[in-house]
Amino acid sequence: MKILVCVKQVPEPENAFIIDDSKEWIRPGTFSYRMNRFDESALEEALSIKDRYKAVGIDVISVGSENSKDVIRRAIGMGADAGIYIFHDPVGYVSPFLTASFIASYIKENNYDLIFAGAISEDSLQGQVGPLAAEMAGLPCVSFVVKQEISSDQKSMYVERELDGGLVEFFELALPALLTIQGGINKPRYPSLSNVLRASRAEIRTINSDLYTKSVPGQKNKQLTIPEKKREGYVLSGSVHEKAAELIRILSQKSFIA
Amino acid sequence: MGKMNKPGQKSIFIIAEHNENKVKPVLFELASCAYKIKKYCPAEIKVILLGNETEKLSSEITHVTGLDVVATEINELALFNPEIYKKVIEDLAAEFLPSFIIAGHTPRGLDVASGLAVRMKAACITGIESLGETEGKICFRRQIFYGKIDAHVTADSEPLIITVQPGAFEPFKPENAATGKVETRRVNYVPFFTHEKGIRRSIFQDSSISEAKVIVSAGNGIGEKENLDLVNRFAAVFPGSAVGGSRIIVDRGWLEYRQQIGLTGAQVAPELYIACGISGASQHLAGMRGSGFVVAINKDPKAAIFNESDVCVVEDINKFIPAFLEEYKKKEI
Repeated sequence: MKILVCVKQVPEPENAFIIDDSKEWIRPGTFSYRMNRFDESALEEALSIKDRYKAVGIDVISVGSENSKDVIRRAIGMGADAGIYIFHDPVGYVSPFLTASFIASYIKENNYDLIFAGAISEDSLQGQVGPLAAEMAGLPCVSFVVKQEISSDQKSMYVERELDGGLVEFFELALPALLTIQGGINKPRYPSLSNVLRASRAEIRTINSDLYTKSVPGQKNKQLTIPEKKREGYVLSGSVHEKAAELIRILSQKSFIA
Repeated sequence: MGKMNKPGQKSIFIIAEHNENKVKPVLFELASCAYKIKKYCPAEIKVILLGNETEKLSSEITHVTGLDVVATEINELALFNPEIYKKVIEDLAAEFLPSFIIAGHTPRGLDVASGLAVRMKAACITGIESLGETEGKICFRRQIFYGKIDAHVTADSEPLIITVQPGAFEPFKPENAATGKVETRRVNYVPFFTHEKGIRRSIFQDSSISEAKVIVSAGNGIGEKENLDLVNRFAAVFPGSAVGGSRIIVDRGWLEYRQQIGLTGAQVAPELYIACGISGASQHLAGMRGSGFVVAINKDPKAAIFNESDVCVVEDINKFIPAFLEEYKKKEI
């Protein structure tokens, strides 16, 4: 059984994001990056299948700038077998259609039984790349999966997916299929020493996205802005103790504390 | 889009979701969004409903909103099947040529939106929170970079598919809505690849959190599990309080699922909400936006939660709470 896991690197939330002069994207910066948490959960689901059934191979794929290779190496360190990197590094916003179309093109040229992706990326929260790639590659897809089990003949799978409002619904899917995985459903393993050594030496297959056709429906960022304050947003000042005393005063005045 | 449209020819689809024989409330928010779009792009709004027993649902929708409903009865469909939804809505779209298709920013909504976008070669903008017009085009606002930046997104082509963040629009429930038309069709569709197997409730809503007067909520910024003790001591200061948390804290097993606040957990509206080390991703905001008074404590001055707060405390919560408890003790004496 061959599994492909789609991973993305995201900038850490603590980074300062500054709107650039075009107002359409942010200034490139020296951000600290890590693997999208939803993708870590997706990879862990794939690794748990590999732990259970021996003849399972896991490839990871990432689309983006040169440093996307870091998350691919991280994934190999966690236990994936091989990495595929699609080079695509234009200036500015990249539509999820484009990313999905590259992944779909790769899927169509290579046979996988199962494809996993994170349900959303933490930085942009679009939730599109997985379901778009599935549709482009003609695969059935269920998003926000929290539990999966492959049938004994490995031709279908049972999945549970989370809905908003505390409900879980179940499906049976014919393979090959693409699932997007809800974050936090498992504990992604740490890279092991032996795998980290293997990852550092691993040759990552690189594909230039120019090889793939790029046709996407037109949607663009007209403008980026700093979010408006939706409430008063009174900022307390002074030392930590002064701020604490001020908050106590405000909350007492409003009768929240005695 | 926009100004070149002739009235009466265009339509806007709203996709209804339902469970347990009830329409999901986000539908009424989607209706508000559709009416806002209609201001810029005159069109007929149609609620698209799919299921094997649609009569009661259609009646509820049209009585509450006054909108027209196009219901499709499919024996093989109980609640939701992405394969059937995509196929049936694709066919309806070929018939009615909608300029917009609006779904909830929910797992089902995202399955359908992205799938239809590929089939219809349509642009797809997900997780929108508001809309307006710039230079004759409708512009949709959505959060990016952890809510620190708003993107105003336009599309160059029709149709356009959007998903709407739950909680972002007021529910559309006019007082005297004239009942709309319900058109019910029947089709057969046996799915090839994806089969519905049922549904269950996984989180039982706990009244202690939804009825609490004050909620003190913990997020990733608390750092270590041990620091939850601080949050508990902080909460104990407020009569009638409960402790909640963001998804990541619950996923780590530090709090129970019934304490999770956000889109996939409890939606709360206490008189006072104190966010401790919560960044303010839209998923979390959807669960607490209705709160009376909001205090946020976060060491990152750019955290998105501060845009939704009445009082902002830029501090590490692990330093601030001990200081607060000390000052509070002084006051008591």
